[in-house]
Amino acid sequence: MKAQTKQLINDGLWTNNPIYIQVLGICSTLAVTNLVLNTVVMCTALVFTLSLSSLTVSLLRMFTPRNIRMMVETLIIAFYVIIVDVLLKAYWPQMSDNLGPYVGLIITNCIVMGRCEAYGNSNPPGVALIDGFFNAIGYSFVLLIIATFREILGMGTFLGYAVPYFSSEYWDKWIIMVMPPGAFFMLAIVIWVFRSIKMSKEEKSK
Amino acid sequence: MKNKRWFPIVYMFVVTACFSAVIIGFAQVTEQRVKANEAIAFEVAVLKVLPGLYEPSAVTVELHQRFVEQVQQPSVDSAGAYTLERNGQIAAYALPFSGQGFWAEIKGIIGIKADKKTITNMIIYGQRETPGLGAEVAQSKFCDQFIDLTMTASEKPVVFRRPGEPLNPGEVHAVTGATQTSIRLEKIINDALNQWQSKMK
Repeated sequence: MKAQTKQLINDGLWTNNPIYIQVLGICSTLAVTNLVLNTVVMCTALVFTLSLSSLTVSLLRMFTPRNIRMMVETLIIAFYVIIVDVLLKAYWPQMSDNLGPYVGLIITNCIVMGRCEAYGNSNPPGVALIDGFFNAIGYSFVLLIIATFREILGMGTFLGYAVPYFSSEYWDKWIIMVMPPGAFFMLAIVIWVFRSIKMSKEEKSK
Repeated sequence: MKNKRWFPIVYMFVVTACFSAVIIGFAQVTEQRVKANEAIAFEVAVLKVLPGLYEPSAVTVELHQRFVEQVQQPSVDSAGAYTLERNGQIAAYALPFSGQGFWAEIKGIIGIKADKKTITNMIIYGQRETPGLGAEVAQSKFCDQFIDLTMTASEKPVVFRRPGEPLNPGEVHAVTGATQTSIRLEKIINDALNQWQSKMK
């Protein structure tokens, strides 16, 4: 594997993770992580949108005038988001109902615009695709960790299936975990834990 | 050419036209499927609130067949409700309702027995409320509270109470953490029931 590709993967997943380092895409992180299944679908939609948006922005970068580049980027992102929305409505209407307005709001997700602007706009298509893909994966794995804790502690289920002990009468469900404040608590804890691990690794490597 | 003053306008126009064309094509290809999904969601909701018509194991085609064969279309006599007849008598009504929720329109069906006082069931088949919070109004945990619920004689045939509060006849628990959705849904349901009851008198 090329050093540049390795670096892109490492950046997206760990050293420059969009959630706990760049603190981007927080709206959807807070909104959809109360159920793991919703989070999985949201993350899949974001992986699709971010990878292909970054690729398309890169393919058009030679032709796009600089003064209208952000309009073009928004148009490209909206294009892929609408495709996802239409696909869900046609082939998975229940999930489309579950996610409500959040699929459409991927258009305003800062990670997508951020990566298109910071990387896709100034790099060749291949590496732009890799950068978009691994940033989306970096976003997804953090969201899935948050969603897992929120759903288990708040509802006693995982992917809708009852979790032993947490779904029993012995566990008083932490309703706050599936409500907006729970998302803030979990996000703060996750950022704290991951940044601490990262800092400790960096100190050891010195 | 990229430096010409007209280029950004033409470029934006061409790019927008290309992407729009693809989306229009895509939407047309899936249009029938989306409409069919909406229609079947409505039919299943009607079958679920009319007693003895819905079977979870039945496939979509069977459910559609059952809807066509056994459910009577709304008429002036039923005040806009779908009806189920047994032995020439109306056995139950299925009243569609809709209204603005917290984010978007909430669409549902409420089933009413022939006595016009007892609710058979309530199903939400269209909503875009907050996932995990307001969207819970479409889950069976919330909807099952309406099974065999006797409507009150007041201006609120169904009363939503805060979760955990003791319930009287005609009352259900609202959804935890979804106050706005619950308030709006309570109003939508009661408006539909009041309107229907006044027409049926």
